Amino acid sequence: MTPPTAAVTETVRQPLIPPSTHPYADVIHRLEAGGSMLPDTPENLMQIIGIYKAYAVPMDFYWRDLLYIAERVFLNPLPAFKYFISQDYLDLPNSYAGEQSKLRIWRGGEKAHPELLEFMAKGETGKLPKLLHHLWHDRINMEFAEACMQAMLWHQNMGGRFNDYLASDAYRANADRAIKAYFRGNPLMLGLYRLFPEMFMEQVKQMSYYANLGLFWEVMAPVFFEMSDIYDEGGFKGVPDAMDFLVNGIFAVAGRPIYHHVYINGECIEIIPKSEGFTWLYEAALPYVEAVFYRTAPFRGTKSYNAQAYQVPAEQADFHYGILYADVFPVGSAGIPPTLLMQDMLHFLPPYLVDLYKNHKRGEADQLIQLGITFQRSMYNVTSAVIQALRGALLYPLDDTDPEHLLANRRFFEAQMDRFLRPEARLPQVQTQDYR
Amino acid sequence: MGPTPLALLLVLPLVGTLVLTLLPAGFSSARIRSVAALPAALQVLLALICWQHPPADLQLSWLPTLGLSLDLGLDGLSLPLVLLCGLLTSLAILSAPADQNRPRLFFSLMLLTNLGVMGAFLARNALLFLLAFELVLIPLTLLIATWGGERRAGAAIRYLLYSAVSGLCMLAAVLAFAWFNAAGPGFDFADLASAELTPEAQRWILALLLLAFGLKLPVVPLHGWQPFTYGQASTPVVILLAGVVSKLGAYGLLRFGVGFLPEAWTAWSPWIAAAGAISAVYGALNAIAQTDIRRLMAFSSLGHMGLLVLALAAATPLSLQGAIAQMLAHGLIVALLFACVGLIERKTGTTSIPELSGLMNPLRGLPFTMGMLLLALMAAAGIPGLAGFPAELVVFEGSWTAFPVATLISLIASGFTAVYAIRLFNRVGFGRLDNTHADWAHTLWSERAPAMVLTVLVIAAGLWPTALTGWSEAETAGLAVRAQPFLLGASGPTIARSSTTLVAVTLPSAPELLPS
Amino acid sequence: MANIIETAKGAGCFGTLLTAVEVAGLTGALEGPGPFTVFAPVDDAFAALPPGTVQTLVDNPPQLGRILKFHVLSGAYSREVLVTQPEWESLEGAPVAIRRADPFEVKNATVVSADIVCDNGIVHVIDRVILPG
Repeated sequence: MTPPTAAVTETVRQPLIPPSTHPYADVIHRLEAGGSMLPDTPENLMQIIGIYKAYAVPMDFYWRDLLYIAERVFLNPLPAFKYFISQDYLDLPNSYAGEQSKLRIWRGGEKAHPELLEFMAKGETGKLPKLLHHLWHDRINMEFAEACMQAMLWHQNMGGRFNDYLASDAYRANADRAIKAYFRGNPLMLGLYRLFPEMFMEQVKQMSYYANLGLFWEVMAPVFFEMSDIYDEGGFKGVPDAMDFLVNGIFAVAGRPIYHHVYINGECIEIIPKSEGFTWLYEAALPYVEAVFYRTAPFRGTKSYNAQAYQVPAEQADFHYGILYADVFPVGSAGIPPTLLMQDMLHFLPPYLVDLYKNHKRGEADQLIQLGITFQRSMYNVTSAVIQALRGALLYPLDDTDPEHLLANRRFFEAQMDRFLRPEARLPQVQTQDYR
Repeated sequence: MGPTPLALLLVLPLVGTLVLTLLPAGFSSARIRSVAALPAALQVLLALICWQHPPADLQLSWLPTLGLSLDLGLDGLSLPLVLLCGLLTSLAILSAPADQNRPRLFFSLMLLTNLGVMGAFLARNALLFLLAFELVLIPLTLLIATWGGERRAGAAIRYLLYSAVSGLCMLAAVLAFAWFNAAGPGFDFADLASAELTPEAQRWILALLLLAFGLKLPVVPLHGWQPFTYGQASTPVVILLAGVVSKLGAYGLLRFGVGFLPEAWTAWSPWIAAAGAISAVYGALNAIAQTDIRRLMAFSSLGHMGLLVLALAAATPLSLQGAIAQMLAHGLIVALLFACVGLIERKTGTTSIPELSGLMNPLRGLPFTMGMLLLALMAAAGIPGLAGFPAELVVFEGSWTAFPVATLISLIASGFTAVYAIRLFNRVGFGRLDNTHADWAHTLWSERAPAMVLTVLVIAAGLWPTALTGWSEAETAGLAVRAQPFLLGASGPTIARSSTTLVAVTLPSAPELLPS
Repeated sequence: MANIIETAKGAGCFGTLLTAVEVAGLTGALEGPGPFTVFAPVDDAFAALPPGTVQTLVDNPPQLGRILKFHVLSGAYSREVLVTQPEWESLEGAPVAIRRADPFEVKNATVVSADIVCDNGIVHVIDRVILPG
């Protein structure tokens, strides 16, 4: 009897689990093969890396100013100059760039990015006093960073222990100490604190979220800079490579402490000490992704929402106004926070993206929207990295041979894709290059 | 100045038509368009010269046996309309797409329409008026039938039928003027003005005139062709039709009805005013219900025609000034509305309100066009500072004493204008821009230019209302069949005058037009 | 018998874990009376993490301590006891899921050697570092 060799080879080749029947089965199979939600095309790679670069430069300002506000401006009742960051904070060494860093992610320097400094000096309008640049909005739009911070503050319970800690006695005692120290010799504010302690407490909580987001972005800026440098060297073969770099980055800095220190008259008050054990991954990155990529809040702008007609979900968890769902077309309209980000990124686009936009749609006239959609693509890739990282941390390798494990991975991916079943999700659009 | 400019006003479109047919084959559509717009633009220039230096009447015998003579004149009634006609013809031609299909024929027919309308405005002879009036019908029917929406053939046939009836009525009325004139047949306006007609004959002739011009305007219940035709015809044609040709009806009512049959007009004016008020309400309410921008504007136009008819019915000096002002204001506003709609349709491919939204989007929408549309809608709704307001104000003020109820109804109807204007703009301008379909180029300056000129004029006329009312004070005062009671202190409608004298050409001199 | 730390030292394949416990300042606790149930990842498990992961944690002892505490339950539980309940609360606070009884799986790690009984608890050797969430 001859052994049925051919048949045996065939069974070996067969996948261990049947294909997915999910509406996004294609995307799920791509994720299971180690890919990204974004299809692997050279143009997608170019778009996402280019926009990471354009995003990282303003982000280098965002994180510095967020920390400046959380640590120095703190409870200033009239923080008119909170965006006028001090030189110390512009020079603040990034923990993940420069010679001094213990874990060097970006090969560049630890101080503020040169392109950022150049823009801050001149803006679009040329050399003018700082105050005029500020009032004319010819500057980095810090309001966007604050909108992200507010989304995290507002949505709050999205995993991690950060928000629980803000309600603890230990936190309240620290905050109380900081408030009293900050307003020492100011009977008016101390009297108000006595009258409305919760209002002050709430302000300190908001400051803690400033610190949280600042520490989160301190990591992302060098990650994106390094990705841009690697791409310029021809280092990435495709979109999955770029995603894997992000996955590794997420793991590498997962244990970074999240804390909130305030400097008052040269004294450092630890409102959230590092010893609480809060980590970058659990207390900053995952809540950030949830709050900013998925949820945020409806734009104020040309579209009105009718809450009575259930156009706004009753549950905060069902909010779906983040960049993964966003209608990028109203970008450019008044009152829409992403417009501020698009405007910031516009100043730092690498030349290859400028050329790309010139050749599509309305060319230079609608660059803001085109780069907004590029940004959307790039954030689908970042979200893919988060999904793959979570899969790696909580589930099983993609090449696992146990069908039970593969099914667990499958269920995880399908559950993630379920979030994109609502019609607002842009996942179907980013599958093609027509969406610009 | 001699009568040559009057003849030139008519020769220009003829020459234009001739030149268009003779242009070499290599001419691009866009250049043919520029050439075609030139004669109409020259008409505007010429009319402005005539305003400063009034020309003498032109009298040339043509067919004496028929009583037909080439008898042209320009008075305060015709001058503003001649200006409007030249202006809107040139802008309508320029608002045609750069790649207009069969441009020579299209623009030639536009110019021929212009010739007919111009002839009617200048005519000082009823037969000549009739001839010009009928001439308009042919090129317009061809324009509607050849270029337009999917159901353009039906629209053309409907327009042709209604207009043919209108033409026949006009023919009958003109003949009746001659036959029933006890002083002997004659077609000169002077003859008509001094005609000795029995009250019976007057009533019959007025009935025919009301039919003829009511169909042209149109006014309820004679409007059957209008929404459909405005909806199907191509944008430049609609601009011409709504902006200029409809004014022919108003001009006819004023010239023939109020001017030559004052007693009959006075007797019937309550009914005419009622028709006007009903048109105003019917047009506004229908406009609110429309789902297509073109049809919405057609009904809006119908409503505004109602106001015009109300003012004509009242026939006080002030209301007749209002009527002229409304003709001019409506001409500018409706042209601007359709110019904007034309741009929207060219870019988005549709005028269906449910399919459009978010066009105010600053980067991927049509913000500039929508800005002009908003201004036009505001002007149509009678917002102060824009052309619609002084016109409507004078209409209401002038008609109030004669027909308070009809005026009140029209006033309410004009309030509905704001309802559909806001409804339209809210649906089309605001909301979410459809990501899958919003893939069109932005409007070019050359495309925007005609609408921009109109926008400037609409604002200018709003800020300087004398530009609308100052043209024809002498004529309208002379034509008025009712005194202005609250001005004279008289009570109730009185017949101010029993015979009309409309011979002398008296133009407002330039200083009178300046704001005082 | 030896305590948990001594047992681990004796096994020879927990070098990274012991260093981590030392850095996080948990050695004393694990030498204490307990009793504890420890899911002890082998050196290969730490090596399988992307580069930099362990370094960042070692640089930040409180954060490292938190991850390590996730591998420890209060009380000594053998495999037979553990599989009776789907989740056990870790010292970190987050629950540790028991996913399968056979093969014995704790979260996404497989227990390669169960029920090593020590003075102050029970050690289960796992092939992967487990993380809360």
